[in-house]
Amino acid sequence: MNAIRLQIPAHADYIDMVRICLFGIASKMNYAYEEMEDMKVAVSEACNNAVIHGEFRETSNVIDISFEPKDSGLTIKVKNNGVSTFVGEALEKASPLPDVDVSGLRVGGLGIYLMQALMDEVEVNASESGTEVVLTKYLDAAAEH
Amino acid sequence: MKAEQFQVVQEETLDQFILHVSGELDLSMVPQLRMALEPVMNRTDKALILNLKQLKYIDSTGIGIIVSVLKLRDELKAPFFVREIPPSVKRLFDLTGISRYLIEGTEAQA
Repeated sequence: MNAIRLQIPAHADYIDMVRICLFGIASKMNYAYEEMEDMKVAVSEACNNAVIHGEFRETSNVIDISFEPKDSGLTIKVKNNGVSTFVGEALEKASPLPDVDVSGLRVGGLGIYLMQALMDEVEVNASESGTEVVLTKYLDAAAEH
Repeated sequence: MKAEQFQVVQEETLDQFILHVSGELDLSMVPQLRMALEPVMNRTDKALILNLKQLKYIDSTGIGIIVSVLKLRDELKAPFFVREIPPSVKRLFDLTGISRYLIEGTEAQA
């Protein structure tokens, strides 16, 4: 398999490296500019989750990112080691801001929703060894625009 | 792609604080934006304005901060405007639903 792998320390300072790498791969695959922007945000959100949930662990940890280009599109896997609070339930509950009064707005929780809104497929695999977020954007979607 | 350094430049006029936000606003830059907001977000004597003209990137962490400022300014009954939103940023504001809470406020109005 022609996967391109990147490993970063699980710290916010390195997430821009993931975006830069993604931009290179997506450019080579001829994605439209807007789609690359969408993927950048979605992948950053997956990394944000890994960093934020990783903060509470004592051991130093890393995030493994695997970019898997195929004819049909690009799949990006973001995996962190350790138990996650980021589960299937969160995927189902993810939604944009509700139409309420400003005072009733919640501050967090938009990350998962954005991943779903910006990618064609979002999958979360949680196991004892860690959490893996699998994001896919199809190339055909580019032709439709 | 050139990753542009995140930066906040503050401008003060007679009746407003304007924060010009530029570059990439991601999780790593959240503390920097909070620090810039800290001294001005509670000031009810002046309007608070975020100018996003040079903002190249934002995600849920940056949007979360804007939501928290919206709530605070609403509570304080103090004016808060977000100006010159670039199209790529506007798209995310629309998707998350924050757009309907934002008042753009032109130079003339403010």
